[in-house]
Amino acid sequence: MKLAAIVRQSAVRQAIARKPVASAALALAMLAAPAAHAATASVEPEESGVNTLEAPKASWFFVQRGFVLGGTSIYDSNTGKLLGQVETPVLGDMALDPAGKAYYVAQTIWTKRTRGTRQDMVTVYDAKTLNFQADIDIPGRMLVGGRKNNFVVSDDGKFAYVYNYNPATSVNVIDLTKRKFVKAVELPGCADLVTVAGVGLSALCNDGSIATIALAGAKPEITHTAPFFNATTDPVFDNYATDKAKKQSVLLTYTGLIYTVALGAKPVVGEPFSIQEAAGIRKGETKPLEVNWFPGGGQPLALHRPTGHLFVLMHPGEYWTHKDGATEVWEVDLATKKVVKRIAVPDLPEAVEVTQEAEPKLILAGGSDTLRVIDLKTGAIKHTIKEAGSGPITVVENP
Amino acid sequence: MKKFDPDSLGEKMLRRFAGGTSRRGILARLGAALVAAPVFPLLPVSRAEAAKPDRSPETKTIFARNAQTSDDTKCTYWRYCAIDGALCTCCGGGIHTCPPGAEPSPVSWVGTCINPEDGKAYLIAYRDCCGKAYCNKCNCNGSDRETQIYTPQLNNDIIWCFGTQSMEYHCSTAVLIGAA
Repeated sequence: MKLAAIVRQSAVRQAIARKPVASAALALAMLAAPAAHAATASVEPEESGVNTLEAPKASWFFVQRGFVLGGTSIYDSNTGKLLGQVETPVLGDMALDPAGKAYYVAQTIWTKRTRGTRQDMVTVYDAKTLNFQADIDIPGRMLVGGRKNNFVVSDDGKFAYVYNYNPATSVNVIDLTKRKFVKAVELPGCADLVTVAGVGLSALCNDGSIATIALAGAKPEITHTAPFFNATTDPVFDNYATDKAKKQSVLLTYTGLIYTVALGAKPVVGEPFSIQEAAGIRKGETKPLEVNWFPGGGQPLALHRPTGHLFVLMHPGEYWTHKDGATEVWEVDLATKKVVKRIAVPDLPEAVEVTQEAEPKLILAGGSDTLRVIDLKTGAIKHTIKEAGSGPITVVENP
Repeated sequence: MKKFDPDSLGEKMLRRFAGGTSRRGILARLGAALVAAPVFPLLPVSRAEAAKPDRSPETKTIFARNAQTSDDTKCTYWRYCAIDGALCTCCGGGIHTCPPGAEPSPVSWVGTCINPEDGKAYLIAYRDCCGKAYCNKCNCNGSDRETQIYTPQLNNDIIWCFGTQSMEYHCSTAVLIGAA
């Protein structure tokens, strides 16, 4: 599918390049065709225009197209309609301005496409016009697909943080108001950032702890919680979710343990519970040959902040299948620690998000590049959107 | 008759060494050693004295049970237990060879895979071939003992093109390093 689409596109491009006159005529004919069929077609000459966008809405979601095609598509989950595209290259990361005025893209390009000088930057696009506003040069960033916590913006919208790996690990601090790179902070052994208002950042670490980087002082200070998970035998998924208003992150491990973490200068890690036990079955284990339900995918969990319900991509299988797509989405009430609903889903999705509306919709994406929008009130698939992308998916967290 | 001249010999050796290496290459190799270090036991002596690790859990994953040794262009080939990306064997390269014009990364992520022929565990370095656009053929996504990015040496989503002229990802190889 993916390949066929690319071949088709490049064939069209080549045809246009080779035969400019003929293809221009074809394009004109294609433009004119629908008008000819309309009953009340205007015959007045027209001028080209450009659409603009409203500020990001609670019903909107953003889907990165994947590893082959660049671009992050903006959709309205009410209509299923594609509204526009934020320019993100493959391996680029997009973040929203909390005030809804800009889209930020952390990206890496080379001066001569696949060679030449490497350039890393945060690019600013106006949220209304999607026009380019500025490039902020940075020293580097990690090149990896599908991570939501490598590029984060502070709650007040003033600072952005880009995770870097070269292969030493650090965080690049960017002043968004001055549109300037400020400094790099070394962060050994940790990744996956979350901003903590009034403190700085927290991150997951390979000793099984959470690191907190206090950025207020003259020199950044890093402290760690006690280790609470095993980073090699039962890792926490990179794409965890955070409720900024509650100052709480929700973490999920490969076996299906759910942790809530109270963020702050000294984060407090709560007692975990097993998602399988929350559904009334035996808990997930690392033992081989044990068939159970396991979480999986690149973006396996989504948090509906107003209700504290977590949506997790689940599949039946054995341990070390943490990249497998889902056959069900489990809805977990974090307060009662119960799975309140199991929703069967088609097409093995590997990414999930949920709109933060009072009546939320579930967004699913996967390897087939087909998106699905599920109305959580009825459980019905509201929209099936083909040729869309594989994710990750972003929603407006503070509508 | 030419006399033994240690100075000249030393100079020749140094010049040959300097001509065949680059600072960048040494840095990259050093980086590889640092990245790979946690995966190897500390010393050969302590390794020999230590009890042989129990590899039975590794032989029992769904991948290991279905692995084969005959076709390295299939995702089920035994060395691909933790590979992610396009197989270089499908892109004009080989199991440890980059396609023409691509450059092998000196650093890599690693996996421990079981060879079904002898039932033994081997350390596999998944070296990316870099500097050309994504090959996008024979895409595989092995996940045996694969971790997240805060344990980068065991994560297979990261673009492992460090120490190469360009970090553009083309495809992945599965180089056998030795017994694990």
